[in-house]
Formats: sequence, C-alpha cells, structure tokens
Amino acid sequence: MSAKEFLLRRPEAASIISLFGIVAFYVIFGGVNLSNLFGAASWVNFAANLGIVAIPLGLLMISGELDISIGAMIPAGSMTVAILSGYYELPIVVGMLGAIGLGLVVGLVNGILTVRTSVPSLIITLGTLVAMQGVVLAGAKLLTGAASVPLTAPDWAKMLFGGLVGGSYQTVVLWWVAFAIVFGFVVHRTRYGNWLFAMGGDRVSARNAGIPVDRMTILLFMVSSVSAAFVGMCGAIQFNSAQVSGGMGYIFNAIVSLVVGGTLLTGGFGSVAGIFFGTLTFAIVSQGIYFTQIDRNWSSLIIGVTLLVAVAMNGWFRNLAMSYAPRKKA
Amino acid sequence: MSNISSSPRFSLGSLVRRPESGSLVGLVVVYTFFAVLGGAVFVGAPGWSSWLNIAAEVGIIALPVGLLMIAGELDISVGSVIPASSMMAAVVSGFFGLPVPIGIMSGLAVGLLVGFINGVLVTRTSIPSLIVTIGTMFGVMGLTLGLAVAIAGSTSVFLVPDPFTKLVLGTFVAGMFNVSIFWWGAFALVVFFLLHISPVGNWIFALGGDRQSARNAGIPTGFLTVALYMLSGLAAAFVGIIQLMTYQSAQVAAGQSFIFNSIMCVVIGGVLLTGGSGSVIGIVIGTATFAVVNQGIFFSGLDPNIGSVIIGALLLAAVLSNDGFRALALKYARGKGSAS
Repeated sequence: MSAKEFLLRRPEAASIISLFGIVAFYVIFGGVNLSNLFGAASWVNFAANLGIVAIPLGLLMISGELDISIGAMIPAGSMTVAILSGYYELPIVVGMLGAIGLGLVVGLVNGILTVRTSVPSLIITLGTLVAMQGVVLAGAKLLTGAASVPLTAPDWAKMLFGGLVGGSYQTVVLWWVAFAIVFGFVVHRTRYGNWLFAMGGDRVSARNAGIPVDRMTILLFMVSSVSAAFVGMCGAIQFNSAQVSGGMGYIFNAIVSLVVGGTLLTGGFGSVAGIFFGTLTFAIVSQGIYFTQIDRNWSSLIIGVTLLVAVAMNGWFRNLAMSYAPRKKA
Repeated sequence: MSNISSSPRFSLGSLVRRPESGSLVGLVVVYTFFAVLGGAVFVGAPGWSSWLNIAAEVGIIALPVGLLMIAGELDISVGSVIPASSMMAAVVSGFFGLPVPIGIMSGLAVGLLVGFINGVLVTRTSIPSLIVTIGTMFGVMGLTLGLAVAIAGSTSVFLVPDPFTKLVLGTFVAGMFNVSIFWWGAFALVVFFLLHISPVGNWIFALGGDRQSARNAGIPTGFLTVALYMLSGLAAAFVGIIQLMTYQSAQVAAGQSFIFNSIMCVVIGGVLLTGGSGSVIGIVIGTATFAVVNQGIFFSGLDPNIGSVIIGALLLAAVLSNDGFRALALKYARGKGSAS
C-alpha cells in the first residue's frame, strides 16, 4: 500500500487536513500573517489547557463513555488549591494534593455509578457536573466567605505549574506535550490501549476476553477528573487566584476537539495524535480568528462548520480503514 | 409501556410501575422541603409564580426534547435557537420596522429551519445526533452573533411590541404569572395527545426502542425524526419570541443554560436517555421539580448554590430509581408472559 493510502486510513487524517484547511482559509480570506500566527502564544496556551482535559476525555470516548463533569472539575481544582493553600495558608503541596484528591474522588463516583447502573454516563456526569458546581461555589462561600479566593504560590510551584517559558508560553504547554506523549505510548504501545479499543468496540466481548472492563472504566473516569482538576490548579497558581467560572465552555470545546480529531463518539476508534491535532485545530479556529480581518463573531460559525465537515471526512476515512484488506491473500 | 396503561382494572401495582411515579414522589418531597423552609411566601402566589415562570420556559423546550429522547435522539442546538429566533424577530420588526407578526413568523421559521437541518443530517448521515446538534449549535450561535453585528451593529436589539402581541406573548397575568405558563399548559396537552393518544406516539416509542424494527414495521422513521427535530426547533424559537416580547430586547448570548436544564428536566421526569421509555406527565413533573428547586432555594434562606447540589442529587436519584422502577415493570411484564 502506498504512503498516501496509509495516511488517509489513520484516525488523525481528517484533523490534519482540517488544520491545514483552516490555516489556508485564514490566510486566503482573513489575510493572516503566518509568522504572526505561529509566533503567537495565545492559541497555543488555549490549546494546552483544553488539550490536557481533552486527552483523557478522548480515551473515555474511545472506550464508549462520556464525561461532562470536567466542566465543574476545572473550577473545583482551582478552588481547592486556593482554599487550602491560599485561605488556610497550608503548604502548596497540600493544596495540590487536595485538588488531585478531589479529582480522584469525583472520578471514582462517576466511574462506580457508570459501572454499577445502566444509566448512560452522559446523564451520570451531568448530575455530578451540576452537583459539583454547587458544592464548589457553596463550599467556597461557606469556608472563606467570598466567591474569589487569592493564592500566592512559592516560586518553585509557580515555575513548574504556572510560569511562562520562551516569552509568553505557559508551562501548561509542556505538561500538555508530556501528557500527549505518555498517553500516546500507553494507548498505542501497551496492552492497556488494546483493552481500551476492545471496550469501545464491544464491551461484552471485551469482558469475556478477560479484560477488567469495570476497573478500566473507573480508572479512566478518575484520570479524566484529575486532569480537569490539574488544569484548574495550574490556572489558580498562574493567575494567583481561583476562578470559579469558565469551566462550562470546556465541555463542548473538548468534545468538538475530540470529534474533529477523529474520535468516534460511540467508541472503538480514535488516536492520541488525532486528539492532539483536533485540539490544535480547535484552538486555531477559535483563537486564530483574532489574527485575521474576519470579524471574530463568526468564529462559532466556523467551529460548527469545521466540526460537521471533519466528522463527515472522518466517517469517509473510517470506511476506508475498515474496508481495507491486505491483498496478498487473494 | 402502553399495555400497562391500558390494563382494564386499576391497581396499586400498576401505579407504582408507571414511569412517572418516582418523579412524582421526588416533586412532593422537594416541594414539602422548600415549603417548610420558605414558609408562607413560597407556598403563596409569589412562590408559585416564581417557579412556574421558570418551569414554563424550560418546560416548553423540555417537552419536544423529551419526545426526541424517547425516540433515541438528543438536541443540543436548542440553546442557540432561542437567541437566534428572538434576534431574528427583533431585527425584522424592531430594526427594520416590519409588522410584528412577520417578525414572529421569521423567528419561528429560524427554529423550523434549524430543526429541519438537524433532522436531515441525523437521518441521512451516521453522525450521532449529539455531534450534529453541537455542530449546528455552534453554527447558529456564530450566525446569530455575526449577522446581528453586521446588520444591526449591536449584540442586543430592542423591540417594543404592540399591546395585543404583548398581551398574548409577553404579559404577566395578575402582575406576576407570565403568560408563557398557559402556553406551556397548552403545549403539554398537545404533546400529550401526540404521544399517548395518537398513533404517532406509538411510532415514537417504537423508534426509540428499536429503530431498525420500527422501519421494518412500516413506520416512516426518517420523516418522523425530521418532524421531531423541527418541533423542538419550533419550541425553542417560540421561547425566544416569548422572551423577546417579555423583556422587549433580544440578546445574542441567552439560552445556553437551557441545553442542560431541558435535559435534566426530562431525565428527572423519568425519560430514558437511550430511548423507548417516558411520558409527558413525567416530563411536566420533572420540569416542575427542577423549577421548584431552582427558585425555592431563594425562599429558603440557604446559599443559592446549594440549589444546584440538590438538582444534581435529584438527577442521580431520579435515574437510579428509574432504573429500579423499570426493572420492576419489565420483570412484571416478563412474569406475566411466561405464566400465560
């Protein structure tokens, strides 16, 4: 088979084409200056924050589940570290462990409810989303008496989680790349990745084949909640205060990034590279528009169209991949 | 489901097995809770008007969203159809000064058109409806924002309706009950007829139960899906019109909260997300429960944010108890089948 055919069958094919398509669109119709666009940190930072949440969410989607409670876990993580280390002045490590711990607990609840009941994970995580929103806001008011909590992190924490590198790139960008490499290795090079695809393809068969389906599902939900809390925590350390709002946008943005990146909502198909490029595409569409002469109010329209076009392309490439059979047997 | 409701004699067992009985218990518990905390003000007219006004707007959208969910589909785009329709009507009648009925018609047409696109994309492609309607949600949001700024030069457009329109679509009866409450009631009756009395209802349940078998049984599944999406687009557009007539201005960024709120009302009302089960009475009860918690919290003296904790807990309790109720109902049906 030729290299072109091989590339088109990869799950990330459509996202890479979308990425080039969007950049070309902005250059032709928006008069964008490429060196300005690629030199700018704003959309890279945006992509990194979104990407850290999107990767584990994508793994959940590959295994056939959905987690929208991330929308509440981002502010929850940021609030936890700010309350523990900012308001109660505990060491920053305690605050960070608190944020991670909260993520573990919420992920555990999501996972157990999904595994033990027949309720779809969309509804379960919708419940925990709304509940956690209330818990975070009410908890912050109850404990600190204010809705915004300041936090001063020590230099080493600031440097690791909330600093700037190479001018105006947040350190979160490095974390995102690290996450992508680690998860890329786990998903595509270890047996756990195979389990994941098997679960999304056919859960019952996967269980019959001896895959610990329930334990994997719970683990994935925990990773997803922890990643969201991690993004919130980094935000709090970076901006010296906890932000309670702003998590909700991540829900749809992350789902769009995943689907543009070739992940199948119904499970069983996708790749970490696809998720990575899907997130990049989304970030360029939504933030790159500031570098064009196009009125930024149109960005949502471009996102919607990109999503539908990318999904259609993905479907076509998936058919190509599924119908491919080596010809040597014939 | 229908064989239970049409069983000739009334019995306590059949009542417990009905899909909405769990949600009714939830409503009673929640209402009692807030009645105790909120006292006479919440039980009196001010309390009723405050939660009914919220319930009516969400409820008008929750009904067709519930029908779609029974048929096995989701509609996220309602969140951007609401501002799109009210902006359309405001631009046509307020900015260009055309007669208000034309503005209303074009607003509703936006909803029908978005619903039609959703329906066609869902039936003609293999893309899940969640993704299709997220796509149209972003698309409509961008179009509303871009066109409003391009045409009217602003993200909020004013419209002063004539007295008759104001009376029918945007007035407060007795100074506090929004007229949308009556529209909600009427709409619920229509949808009740559609789902539980007319043959279309059986089609919808069949569609959600098993799409392939439904098609083989001769049900026009594609046509029905498109029609349901157009109904939910129309309902969202109607809420947009009511908001415009009530507050006399259209905002581009109103309506996002309706996405999850309508789903929550429907699920608290006992509708199965995966399709094939649910009832209109359940959806109405679910909406009322949601609204009682949403507004009751302001009368209770508790921190308003605790309201969302209660709604989240309620949602989980509803789905878990529905799980139990459904198991009971299905077991009962199976038992009867094997005995005969």
